[in-house]
Amino acid sequence: MLNMKKVSKTYRTDTVETHALREFSLTVDEGEFVSVTGPSGSGKTTFLNIAGMLEELTAGTYELDGRDISKLNDKERSKVRNEKIGFIFQSFNLIPELDVFDNIDVPLRYRGFNADERKRRIEKCLDRVGLTSRMKHYPAQLSGGQQQRVAIARALAGEPRFLLADEPTGNLDTNMADSVLDLLAEINDSGTTIIMVTHELTLADRAKRNIFVRDGQISDGPPELHFAAAASA
Amino acid sequence: MDIGPVWRAMLKNKAGFVLIALQIAVTMTIMVNAFAIMQERANNVGRESGLDEANTFALASAWFDEFDRDLMKIRIDEDLALIRGVPGVRSAVASNSFPLRQGGWSMSLQTEPGSQSPDSIGSAIYFVDEYGLDTFAATLIDGANFTPNQVSWQVQNDDTWPATGIITEALAKEIFPDEEGSVVGKTIYINDNDPVNIIGVIERMQAPWPGWTGVERTMLVPQRRYSDFQRYIIRTEPGYRDALMPEIEALLANSSKDRLIRDVTTMEQVRKLAYVGDTAMIRILTFVVMLLTVITGLGIVGLASFNVSRRTRQIGIRRALGATKPAIVRYFMTENLIVSAIGLTIGGILSVALNMVMVEAFSLEPLAWYVIPIAMIALLMVGQAAVAGPARRASNISPAIATRSS
Repeated sequence: MLNMKKVSKTYRTDTVETHALREFSLTVDEGEFVSVTGPSGSGKTTFLNIAGMLEELTAGTYELDGRDISKLNDKERSKVRNEKIGFIFQSFNLIPELDVFDNIDVPLRYRGFNADERKRRIEKCLDRVGLTSRMKHYPAQLSGGQQQRVAIARALAGEPRFLLADEPTGNLDTNMADSVLDLLAEINDSGTTIIMVTHELTLADRAKRNIFVRDGQISDGPPELHFAAAASA
Repeated sequence: MDIGPVWRAMLKNKAGFVLIALQIAVTMTIMVNAFAIMQERANNVGRESGLDEANTFALASAWFDEFDRDLMKIRIDEDLALIRGVPGVRSAVASNSFPLRQGGWSMSLQTEPGSQSPDSIGSAIYFVDEYGLDTFAATLIDGANFTPNQVSWQVQNDDTWPATGIITEALAKEIFPDEEGSVVGKTIYINDNDPVNIIGVIERMQAPWPGWTGVERTMLVPQRRYSDFQRYIIRTEPGYRDALMPEIEALLANSSKDRLIRDVTTMEQVRKLAYVGDTAMIRILTFVVMLLTVITGLGIVGLASFNVSRRTRQIGIRRALGATKPAIVRYFMTENLIVSAIGLTIGGILSVALNMVMVEAFSLEPLAWYVIPIAMIALLMVGQAAVAGPARRASNISPAIATRSS
């Protein structure tokens, strides 16, 4: 489903050249739950940005569902992001001026669905994350865990091919984090592919496969990661 | 166009939008009413005086030797004969004033004699001879011109009036509002009790005061005045004016050393001077309207730029969720469209209200129906143009900003 071959990403300023990803290769199959871990500055977020088509890669190829998407123009990239990828961010990234309904509606409007279809999807997703009663609440009126559930509902509403989660529990307490991770596991069990970027090794063991990134490349990772992955297998 | 969520998001941050909407409303109110004033002033400036302005000029002769009534009559007759004899001169007359000069005579005219007549109407008075109509390019539409033997001579400040007069059509309609036929042969009274028989009606000839509401009410009377100050109005054949002005000035100056020739002016110069206030008003109001429009435009740019800065992350999130660059531009354009629509609606109401007050207070013409829609479209375009820059900047915000720590 997702196939990156020798992907590199280099940031350049007048004086400095930073290699965030170096010949990074990864294949993720349909239905997988993959965690990507690594220390700060290892290239996790760059990988997420490339995988989510938020940034363009410098070299290599990136295929999504067999289609080379590294050469797409901005409009085509926006369309692929909207239709195939669901994003879950660490800081939820809900739009504060919009209520829960309108927040989930944002990507659906870009998709061009009619009002009835959008309403149906929003209600279905809110029901799935257990927040139907909060439909007219604004983000500021919700707890962190509820906000992240809304973000997950927004990510699911477009019925994407895979979810990209960036530190999805980073701003949550333990109970809320567990609840969100349970929800992600449930979503994965229903067939949605999930790639979760996190720096916490304890969270990574909730995934079915762990990738450790260091210096912009996939690495063997620390022993505890192997242990956790083996234990979860 | 997704107006619903844009509108709901705006309601969460009302202050800036309300201020801009009010600014647009005030700008529109001032713009529309300033335009109404400008239009009226422009109409004034563009009015025809009745003269053949391109081929007419005036000059004054001031004798400074001892005043002698008989000598003065001879001098005026000689001057007019001299001027009329110059090749290229079509006609000339000695008169107390002429249209647009901003100084002249006015008298009350009435249809019945007596000092308390309720129907008296003010009119400009020009003293002319039989050359008056041709010199002033007046078109006689009824009756006849003065004959030489109708032209009398009077000393300055003598209030004896000639028995005949020629009036403008506008004056005829005002003084005889119910008369559907000819007014030639009718008698009007000047100076309370002096009868004047109307012998002709001319199409138009303005009074000397362009700002006067009765500027089209004029009467010509066949009279010359014994005065050591004479004003000659000279109409040339087409194309001769500029050459004849210095020639006639020199001719008159050389014919008598006991006078000064002064105030040699074309009618174009007179017109410019007469409407200098109106022209200045048009310029000032144009400047004010442009300034206000620019300030409003800058206000919109400022608000949009502020919103782009404030919502950088939100824009990145929208891009990450699938918004194309044009979709981001459309978002800000829609936002501005909503603010403008509110401002312009309020502005439309205020414009009409202010215009009603101005019509009542200053006797202005009511607004033409098309002024408000034109102003709305113009301000809408200004708003959309003003927001285009910040909106384009917003569309260039990277979607990757969504994954950066807030």
